[in-house]
Amino acid sequence: MYQTFIGLEIHIHLITNSKVFCSCRNEFGAEPNTNICPVCMGYPGVLPSLNAEAVRKSYQVCMALDCTLNETAIFERKNYFYPDMPKNYQISQFAFPFGINGFFDIDLGGGTVKRIRIHDVHLEEDAGKMIHSGGVSFLDYNRAGTPLLEIVTEPDLASGEEAEIFLQQFRQMVRYLGVTDGNMEEGSMRCDANVSINEQGKGLGIKTEVKNLNSSRFVNKALEYEIKRHTKVISAGGTIIQETRLWDEDRNVTRSMRTKESSNDYRYFPEPDLPPYLPDKDFLQEVRESLVELPLARKGRFMSEYALSESSAAFVTGEKEIADFFEKMVQHGVAPQTAARWLSGDVQKQLNLSGESLKASALTPERLSRLLVMVEDGKISRDAAKKVLAAIFTENEEPEKLVKDLGLEQVSNKEDLEKVVSEIVNAHEKVAEAIRNGADKQIGFLMGQVMKATAGKANPKIAQQLIKNNIFKQG
Amino acid sequence: MHIFEKRWSTALSADKKEYTQFVMRQDETVESFLQFDPERGIALQHTNGSLAGIPFGVKDNLAVDSYQLTCGSKILSGFTSPYTATAVQKLIDNGAVVVGKTNLDQFGMGSSTDTSAFKKTNNPWDTERVAGGSSGGSAAAVAAGLVPFALGTDTGGSVRQPASFCGIYGLKPTYGVVSRYGLTAYASSLDVVGVLSKTVDQSRIVFNLMKGQDERDNTSIMHPGSSNGGAVKRIGVLTAQKGVLHPDVEKSYAEAVGRLQQNGYTTREIDIETMKYVVPVYYTIATAEASANLARYTGIRYGYAAQDAKSSSDLMEESRNEGFGDEIKLRILLGTYVLRSGFQDQYYHRAQKIRTAIRNEFSRLFNEVDVILMPVFPTPPFKHGDSELTPFQQKVADKYTCAANLTGFPAISIPSSVENGLPVGVQLIAPPFEEERLFAVARVCEKDFPSPDSPLYKTSWS
Repeated sequence: MYQTFIGLEIHIHLITNSKVFCSCRNEFGAEPNTNICPVCMGYPGVLPSLNAEAVRKSYQVCMALDCTLNETAIFERKNYFYPDMPKNYQISQFAFPFGINGFFDIDLGGGTVKRIRIHDVHLEEDAGKMIHSGGVSFLDYNRAGTPLLEIVTEPDLASGEEAEIFLQQFRQMVRYLGVTDGNMEEGSMRCDANVSINEQGKGLGIKTEVKNLNSSRFVNKALEYEIKRHTKVISAGGTIIQETRLWDEDRNVTRSMRTKESSNDYRYFPEPDLPPYLPDKDFLQEVRESLVELPLARKGRFMSEYALSESSAAFVTGEKEIADFFEKMVQHGVAPQTAARWLSGDVQKQLNLSGESLKASALTPERLSRLLVMVEDGKISRDAAKKVLAAIFTENEEPEKLVKDLGLEQVSNKEDLEKVVSEIVNAHEKVAEAIRNGADKQIGFLMGQVMKATAGKANPKIAQQLIKNNIFKQG
Repeated sequence: MHIFEKRWSTALSADKKEYTQFVMRQDETVESFLQFDPERGIALQHTNGSLAGIPFGVKDNLAVDSYQLTCGSKILSGFTSPYTATAVQKLIDNGAVVVGKTNLDQFGMGSSTDTSAFKKTNNPWDTERVAGGSSGGSAAAVAAGLVPFALGTDTGGSVRQPASFCGIYGLKPTYGVVSRYGLTAYASSLDVVGVLSKTVDQSRIVFNLMKGQDERDNTSIMHPGSSNGGAVKRIGVLTAQKGVLHPDVEKSYAEAVGRLQQNGYTTREIDIETMKYVVPVYYTIATAEASANLARYTGIRYGYAAQDAKSSSDLMEESRNEGFGDEIKLRILLGTYVLRSGFQDQYYHRAQKIRTAIRNEFSRLFNEVDVILMPVFPTPPFKHGDSELTPFQQKVADKYTCAANLTGFPAISIPSSVENGLPVGVQLIAPPFEEERLFAVARVCEKDFPSPDSPLYKTSWS
């Protein structure tokens, strides 16, 4: 039996107004080479100027991962030549990054939580992009100098599936913090994975690194492929070659990446253009106090405080905006289960239809709460509420107005309903007789008739009671 | 007495032709400017101020918008800067006018200005000799009377040594008090923008206008001012060992010491134990930083690009091979060598430790003396070529100037005498932020021995 060791190197693009060392805009998808300046283009004489917003977000991640914060963080130059890297060195952190020795707990379901150790968290600048097309290469430096936070785990993950879960929950966490959008397809979250296997108890084996993994699903598949490959080689008495491999998503295999240099010597040395960074105590305190409740903790609290089921709590806490929305609804008097059911059901359906995010939509916690309180109070039916919900999305109106405009108010007035009920019962004397003789199910038929006569507006509870009263009183 | 003679403030007025023709005529002999084009500087001028209309030269490794920025190297031939260095901008904001870019050793690496890819600058005292380096163009332009002051950069003595070779003043401020933004990096932890001028007060006013913290340079700091109002009583005089200095330099050095004593200063001979490590430490740190700083020149985004390269890596390799001079390649190789993984403890880290030891020794000495006097360079201006000093000997000779860069302390080179028709200077070093002490002593000496006029120096344009 072999033991598997997987470590991840995750890069996240921090959301900031400007790049990490200059004032150029930090945005995705602009026209090539429009967000550039002498600094991020590495012109002669320019110097980096550290972006405070990027530093703040870095520390948020460090704290969320319970890292030890280095008293002094030092930027270093990582030297290598590549056309998309303007200075041909990358400003990064190496010996003294912002954070070290942290951990991240992943929820494997059913109450099982696994602690994954974090080696370090460091801030660096991204490179530009080289695009090859028909024998010509183009360079786009818009991305050059955008802030990139690298999170390195210890090799504590044991399977492709665990790696996938780690990435999903890590992504959820950094989105909670609001430091990145975590979009793997657009490259704002990237992941390299290293994997080794060895006989039980013998420690780490010889590892391979897998790159080109632009979804957590691919990370899982690529790692499972590598584990099988390693097992096959080692079982046959062979040895693994330490190398970097690329995931080929079309063929579902990893391929050896031919490298020109067998081993890179990055010749790290402290960046003389940036003084050592000593975080101020007040600043750190302020960042710590501004940290939001993280998904795993929030899920646990929702289960105990609101008595939500695990799956329901997992859905509601999946995105911070949904969880916030949920708690506002509870504050507005909606029963937690009801709020969770609507959010995961009909609200989600409407969002899928409109393609909007909850935040951007016309639905607010107040509107949805008032709508559901109307159902609770018997003013409208559940079906009517669904119609109103859809209308809120399209009409951007208050639920009360929509109930009126759509004529969905339930008839709860007993006198009005009694009149309708007695007409229906009189018209269906045979059915009434049958019910008197014990055919309870036939009440449903009479209910249908009442609804038909009131265009669905009759309050079903009251209507049913009135039907029963009517039949048995006569009898 | 005005800080700048009247002819300087009117040089670029209505009849600026006289001045510009004078410069062009003189510079045929001196070859100090790589680009002389006052019109661009006039176009940049937007205000009056304490330097209204005063022309100045800028070493061609400092960025000035619309001017070329070659660093004296083929790899940046044809490159025009799209922005202006903070230090230069501050002078422009006080009315001064850039008139051109001065020659230098490629990327500031050299002591002769002869490693420039474009021209050799001649010493206005003897055109067969070098003006020193690497700010040789700036020094020669001031000594030939083409501008009253010029900006240089000093990484290991590049302002002070040419100032000494040309008989003028050369100030290297405390590291960090003048922004490096726009200074093309050679060795970032040592590079400083400095001033070369004909009088002490000119250097002083220019320095005071340039200093200040800059948000574009995170290593820049606010100048806190002198701790004692620039007062100097005790001067430590570095003992000049027999046979180390050229006889002319030795004579001049003794003369300078005598002048200080006559003016009432208490002098005291001192030895500096760590001086013997200065050159190896300097060349380890400077080349390590240079190997990274010069990596950006690949022909891909700007500057010289090799023709017919077949791939991006070929383009980078060939552009660098064809664009860099030998001295640059030597230093990049050396820097790459000392930074290899597994060898850093032996070279780079060790050099940093010794650098700290040097700084500590200087700091200790400054508990006992207010400034330190030492030679600038062991020889008078030498002839072009290798005949008098080989490139290796030139490096060894950086001993006296490099200490101020390794410690970050301010230093000034002042003229001390003319020996056999060639100027010789001495150097004063002060504790950090004590530029005022340097100016105070330099002014006292200036009264007895002002900057001597070179044979080419003229006080009128005709």
